[in-house]
Amino acid sequence: MNLQPLYTLKERLEQAAIAGTGLLGEDFRLQRAAEALKPLAAASPVFAKLDGGLQALRSAPAAERGGLLLDLLALTDAVVYTQGKTGIDGDLEPLSPVGGTCQPISYGQMQPLITALTTTGGGRMEIIKSTYESHPEYFSDFRVLPALVSGLRDSYGEIADLNAVILRHAGPAALLLLKRDFDPAGKREMARRVEVIAALEGPAVTPWLLEILPQAKKEVRTAVLAALGTDPANAPLLLDLVKTERGANRDAVLTALARQEGEAAQAFWTQELAQKPESIQFLQASNTDLSIALVTSGLKARLERFLGGETHPKREEWEEITTWCQALGQKDSPAMLDFWRWADEHMEAIDQIRGVKNHTPFLGVQLTDQLRGIMRKTGPGPLRDYCLNLWDSHPSMTRYLHISFQAALLSRPAAEVFEKYSPCLLAEDARLDAEHRKSLQAVLLRALGEVAWNLQMERYILDGSFSLAEPLDARWFPLLIRANGDRVLFRLIHPMEDPALMEQVGKYFHYRATHSARDYWGLRGYIDILCICGWTDWAGLLPAALQHMEPLHLHTTIDLLNHLPISAGEKAVQLQAITELVWKGSIKPKSGRWPDLQVRQAIDAWAKE
Amino acid sequence: MTLTEQTILLQAPNPAAAENGRKLSKKGSFSALHKTADETLYWGECAGSGKNPYHVSIDWSDPTAPVCRCSCPSRQFPCKHALGLMFEQLSGKPFPVAEIPPDIAEKRAKQAARAAKKDTAAPPKPKKPNAAAQKKKLARQLEGLDMAGRMVEDLLCAGVGSLAGSSAQAFDKLAKDLGSSYLTGLQTAFTRIALAVRTVQKDPKQADAAYAEALNSLIFLRSVIKKSRSFLQEKLNAESYSAEDTVLFEALGGVWKLEDLQAIGAFRENARLVQLSFDVAFDEAKREYIERGWWLDLDSGRIDQTLNLRPAKALKYVKGDDSRFDLLEVPLLCTYPGEGNCRIRWEHASTRPLTEAERTSLPALAQPDLAAAVKLTKNQIKNTLLPKFLAVLVPIGRLGAVGEAFVLEDPKGARIVLRDRPADGPDHASTGRLALLPEEVPPGSALFGLMFYDEADHSLCLHPYSLVTGTHIVRLHY
Repeated sequence: MNLQPLYTLKERLEQAAIAGTGLLGEDFRLQRAAEALKPLAAASPVFAKLDGGLQALRSAPAAERGGLLLDLLALTDAVVYTQGKTGIDGDLEPLSPVGGTCQPISYGQMQPLITALTTTGGGRMEIIKSTYESHPEYFSDFRVLPALVSGLRDSYGEIADLNAVILRHAGPAALLLLKRDFDPAGKREMARRVEVIAALEGPAVTPWLLEILPQAKKEVRTAVLAALGTDPANAPLLLDLVKTERGANRDAVLTALARQEGEAAQAFWTQELAQKPESIQFLQASNTDLSIALVTSGLKARLERFLGGETHPKREEWEEITTWCQALGQKDSPAMLDFWRWADEHMEAIDQIRGVKNHTPFLGVQLTDQLRGIMRKTGPGPLRDYCLNLWDSHPSMTRYLHISFQAALLSRPAAEVFEKYSPCLLAEDARLDAEHRKSLQAVLLRALGEVAWNLQMERYILDGSFSLAEPLDARWFPLLIRANGDRVLFRLIHPMEDPALMEQVGKYFHYRATHSARDYWGLRGYIDILCICGWTDWAGLLPAALQHMEPLHLHTTIDLLNHLPISAGEKAVQLQAITELVWKGSIKPKSGRWPDLQVRQAIDAWAKE
Repeated sequence: MTLTEQTILLQAPNPAAAENGRKLSKKGSFSALHKTADETLYWGECAGSGKNPYHVSIDWSDPTAPVCRCSCPSRQFPCKHALGLMFEQLSGKPFPVAEIPPDIAEKRAKQAARAAKKDTAAPPKPKKPNAAAQKKKLARQLEGLDMAGRMVEDLLCAGVGSLAGSSAQAFDKLAKDLGSSYLTGLQTAFTRIALAVRTVQKDPKQADAAYAEALNSLIFLRSVIKKSRSFLQEKLNAESYSAEDTVLFEALGGVWKLEDLQAIGAFRENARLVQLSFDVAFDEAKREYIERGWWLDLDSGRIDQTLNLRPAKALKYVKGDDSRFDLLEVPLLCTYPGEGNCRIRWEHASTRPLTEAERTSLPALAQPDLAAAVKLTKNQIKNTLLPKFLAVLVPIGRLGAVGEAFVLEDPKGARIVLRDRPADGPDHASTGRLALLPEEVPPGSALFGLMFYDEADHSLCLHPYSLVTGTHIVRLHY
């Protein structure tokens, strides 16, 4: 049955409602629709009813037309719905699963995440970060992944970069979405896609990269060229491209070539570094044998030129050596170990290198700092073992104490570390001169000062990232107290289940607070640490401390009192005592003002609490 | 009851509070954690911005309704500190057993005394409706219906398209007067019409959809006015003022109380429910968020809905609802009058994970075939007082694509096009997610969605919301 007259009638009735029933009589299109319905009305009672309704509407008085029109529309709708068809012809292609996961994520969890990934405005970075920290699995969910991919074009670059990092861990499910609607002539979003795809696919990405390379423009081309480095088979192509590409694109090709091994790559780099030594920066992130050989041999050769002390490096020369030092990056291999042994053998000579104007470029310090950084990041292995013993073999080299001590903290039992290194803290070895003893203590305090208690992880962390092998030996604390290592103690102290130790530390800091605090923030720090120690005897703390401190305003003093975990009455007592000391002249208020009225008001307010 | 992250999130007044609680737990802000020997009370101290920590406790005596107490001044309930303490519990932190703190013991005792008093007290006498007031109200409603009828006539005489400028303002004012006649349902319908016309004026591209919405509202109004006039007149004549089992009550703007629903017998006992989908929409006319959960009754196969209405003005005072993944056991489930997907509510319910058998049985609760679902849908959408869609669970024979269209084929070979319902808006788009499904849809699965009539090609389509397999529910929304 041809239902077009029915649909036309519905449309005309709707238009009549929009235009107004006052115009019904002049609506010739409705008239035509009514005529077209007649054959259907003859064939079916439902359509006949519609036809009857239409006639009634057209002949009704103006005041009743509105209601009749709506009744007729309702009836027409009902017929239209009844006649509604379902289905579709054609071959049904089954849906192919994409991968990814389906997580039980509630609306309350998912909606803020999707909003953060797909909209603009502040506070989004925090939502994405905290969700990734608590539920990284959410990001592989098939409803979140598309939002994450679209988030690569976020106008806030840091969010887009964070999304790219997350996508690298999302697995192959993200690949389909990343490649869908890919535009080789696009902007940074597409470049990020290339980086993520290359990280996800590894060498298998080559055919896709080669397919898009001819159309790739600007940032996308740079990303494609850099990504070609993932596949060793691309070395010949990269060696060709390095001859033709310019600017950022050539840098990208060099980054890609830094990941290549083989004779051709070696020949290229030898020539490139001879012509442009600064190109060594591209080898910084590479950990290939070739890059290690190139960096170590080049660095050795550059240092050896000045080891005898006869030649002195010019400014450009030692700056170049610094660049080559940095190119050591995070390299770790047997060849690197050989290099460190060589550096160790020549460390004294390296330390002696002086510039043409007799200034010190600190090349030895740079090398040891680099070694310490690599040691922390590479984890247990020959390099860590080498670092553990470095100071033993050169006890006079205090820089090595820093490395060996931290290597021990990361690898050895706490008691063993304490027993071996604690003598350095308050060195009493008469064979050592006072300067050397002082130096040992300073280095050890500096090395220990890089350790801090992490509240969230509930463990000691070195340099914000690396967990110690064991919690620090508690015997360090009395030693640190004796060494006045306040700053170190501040970072290490946390509530410990050793009342005697906490009391000892508390007593020490109470003494320091009342005798050594110099300003407002210094005293606040001592109060905070006393709270951590569970200190309870706060009587007279502020009157005693303020006598040695720089002058404070009354309001700052009241703020400090409010910071003390004591009752309002005790605060009033301390303020009264401070006021009496001000009158006596033992405490000097800032600007010489100590308004009695405000003192009285504060004491009264506390008395009322 | 096993504490899960979901349980904590459901206790939270909003997602941000839960997230803040999680952060407190992660940050190590809690100390002095303890619990009672019977593990019904957990308490601890939480460091706040002040010098003294807050004292937080959670009383799990009734696992479905934990009592959270905190000494912080927050007006959110439960506060982030209580939620943080739950996260401490969830993370498996050690809570040494200790004696119950005296202040909490005292509060518990008072609470128990109150509960005992409530139990022993005589049941409250049923309220007698104030006949005179009810009579007056009915008369006022009837007057309001007359006014609404005249408004419809006037509007149609001038044409819906004429609703602009001062006439729109006058129309709004008249619509507001309907609220004074206890006809808030009609008032909302008029507001919807005005909004639709304003949409056309702002963006003529949306004219088709907006006018369709306005006409639907007009048809609804005409129907409600006609049916309500005789219904209310009969009540007035019979001097019957009690609530009755009819959709007209809500259509006029009435608000059901649980005891009224129980009084008219609109309830089921010991229902087992599984949520199939959850979504949130904003109703511009009422200026409120509608949090809707779609629930499958494991015993009857009925699909009903929960609606949590949160006015934009009072958003922070009304607790939000959220997706639920466990099975809900409801001793007394109240059902609103209506057909198709009725609104449901309950006072108490307990949750537990679905058993293997229950999970496997879910797809079998689908309609026998597509034709049955289509028939039900056509019957529903023809009714001018009911929504223009029906939530259905349809058995899947095959799921795939024909050209650009996603298609469901039932085991008998009948097909339906899967498509997003235009009225739901872009934030409800879910059909495209079918192309991203993580795994193949196993045989014997079912698809849950809203079946609707699409004017674009005069066909019935299905807006997919969830896939129900024998092992899990794959939600395309939330």
